[in-house]
Amino acid sequence: MHLALQPGELTFLVGPSGAGKTTLLKLINREIRPTRGEVWVDGIAAHALKASRVADLRRRVGVVFQDYKLLPRLTAMENVALALQVGDLRVSDQEASERALDALDAVGLGDRGGAFPHQLSGGQQQRVALARAVVAQPPLLIADEPTGNLDLETSWEMMDLFGDIAAFGTAVLIATHNVEIVKRLQRRVITLVHGRLVRDQPAGQTGRLAWLASS
Amino acid sequence: MAGIVVKGRFPRRRIVQTVAVNVFRYLFRGAARNWFRNMGSTAPALGSMTLLLLLSGLIGLSGLALYNLEKVEAGQASLLHVYIKDGATTTDVDVLWDRLARDPRVATVYYTTKAEALKRAQHIPGLPQIASATDANPFPASLDVQAKNIDDVAAIDTMVRNDIAVDPAYPTSYDQGAYQRIQAVLFGVGVAGLAFLVLLGFVAVTVTMNSIRAAIHSRRDEVTIMQLVGAPRWMVRGPFVVEGAITGGLAGAAAGLVTFALAMTGITAGAATFAQFAPGITVAVAAIAATIVLAAGLGLGSGSSLISVRRHLES
Repeated sequence: MHLALQPGELTFLVGPSGAGKTTLLKLINREIRPTRGEVWVDGIAAHALKASRVADLRRRVGVVFQDYKLLPRLTAMENVALALQVGDLRVSDQEASERALDALDAVGLGDRGGAFPHQLSGGQQQRVALARAVVAQPPLLIADEPTGNLDLETSWEMMDLFGDIAAFGTAVLIATHNVEIVKRLQRRVITLVHGRLVRDQPAGQTGRLAWLASS
Repeated sequence: MAGIVVKGRFPRRRIVQTVAVNVFRYLFRGAARNWFRNMGSTAPALGSMTLLLLLSGLIGLSGLALYNLEKVEAGQASLLHVYIKDGATTTDVDVLWDRLARDPRVATVYYTTKAEALKRAQHIPGLPQIASATDANPFPASLDVQAKNIDDVAAIDTMVRNDIAVDPAYPTSYDQGAYQRIQAVLFGVGVAGLAFLVLLGFVAVTVTMNSIRAAIHSRRDEVTIMQLVGAPRWMVRGPFVVEGAITGGLAGAAAGLVTFALAMTGITAGAATFAQFAPGITVAVAAIAATIVLAAGLGLGSGSSLISVRRHLES
């Protein structure tokens, strides 16, 4: 497949189970290494990256998971600040706290910075995960089934946040099974089947007759 | 009002301070917290490493004492007593003395009279009874030859044993193989001690590696999250290595203290006897041994953790 994401573009990655959505996200984040082909992220050749340099790539890619992956022993604010400080040791505690609280405020959790993950609902935990993913302002944000564990209302709130993030210039790629969201948001949709890109529908052409515009 | 925003440089000292604080937090404080949390699974590693280091310290001190003993034995073995025949003329003795003194293999030659031989024998356990059993002095005069090299003692013995001035019944003190037997025993003890230490070392490294492996598995989610948010490799691996160093350091400190205490007990309990059995073991040597044991503990703990981390923690 050949796929390029532009800054500020929100793209959905869809396809049946086993189509390769998660694999593609893992290739982008260098959780797995491609056996052939090339993956470029913000000028970095992810496919050829040495293990010792993978962290450099991951600082340029914010990641949101279905199961949030928050550290249970840290508060929401500390979880977000962690992403800042592990990426740049020059960030002081005060600066990290301020920026983390800003990011939490942006996702509507400015007053829950001191809460531990187990004290938050699923939707709130996912928002903390989103704040953590974007606090260092990465050029790319990838999300693997971010609404998989959320109710519909919370899912829409999350999608609004993803849209806002894209509006500020971040390329956002969301793997999802949620057809309702994909149809209503009218964003670019990439369809994978058996590891192949079978359809790339531009934004605004994802309605019932979208296949007419498919590549 | 228009103005110019001047972006001031952040003071270098503040940056260094911030980096140091962050490194301390993620590397050392995190490791110490996790070490306390995993104390249960670390206990076997701590125990086996303490035992290994304690035995290493004691075997090391014993080895040093044996080495010093061997040097004393070697000095004695390179001293050849050439016994002078009763009734040998002064001229014959002088000729033999000159011959020996001119020999390039000989360091010194000293003449011991019968009276001096008797006096010396009275200080050697068992010999005073022989001396008192007869009115006559049973100990012969001798030429005490100090060979430069212990390997030349046999050749010097061959050279002098048929000399006219030498006692034909007991020509010299040369005992072929005596020194070699001592060397063989010491070598055997050394090899056995080393093999024992290697075995214990293997056990301690394996147990430590397994405890770190258990720690990695128990914190797999945390490690994964750290990796996914872009933590560099040293930040993910470092705390585990520091944890191993803490285990090794504590084991080394305990073993070093016990080693030092045992050596001090030996030194103060019987200074004269101890100096004979363990020559060269002093307070300073015991302190150095304890320090080496501590350093070995730190190295062993962090080294075995590093091996485990490299093996079980993928990037």
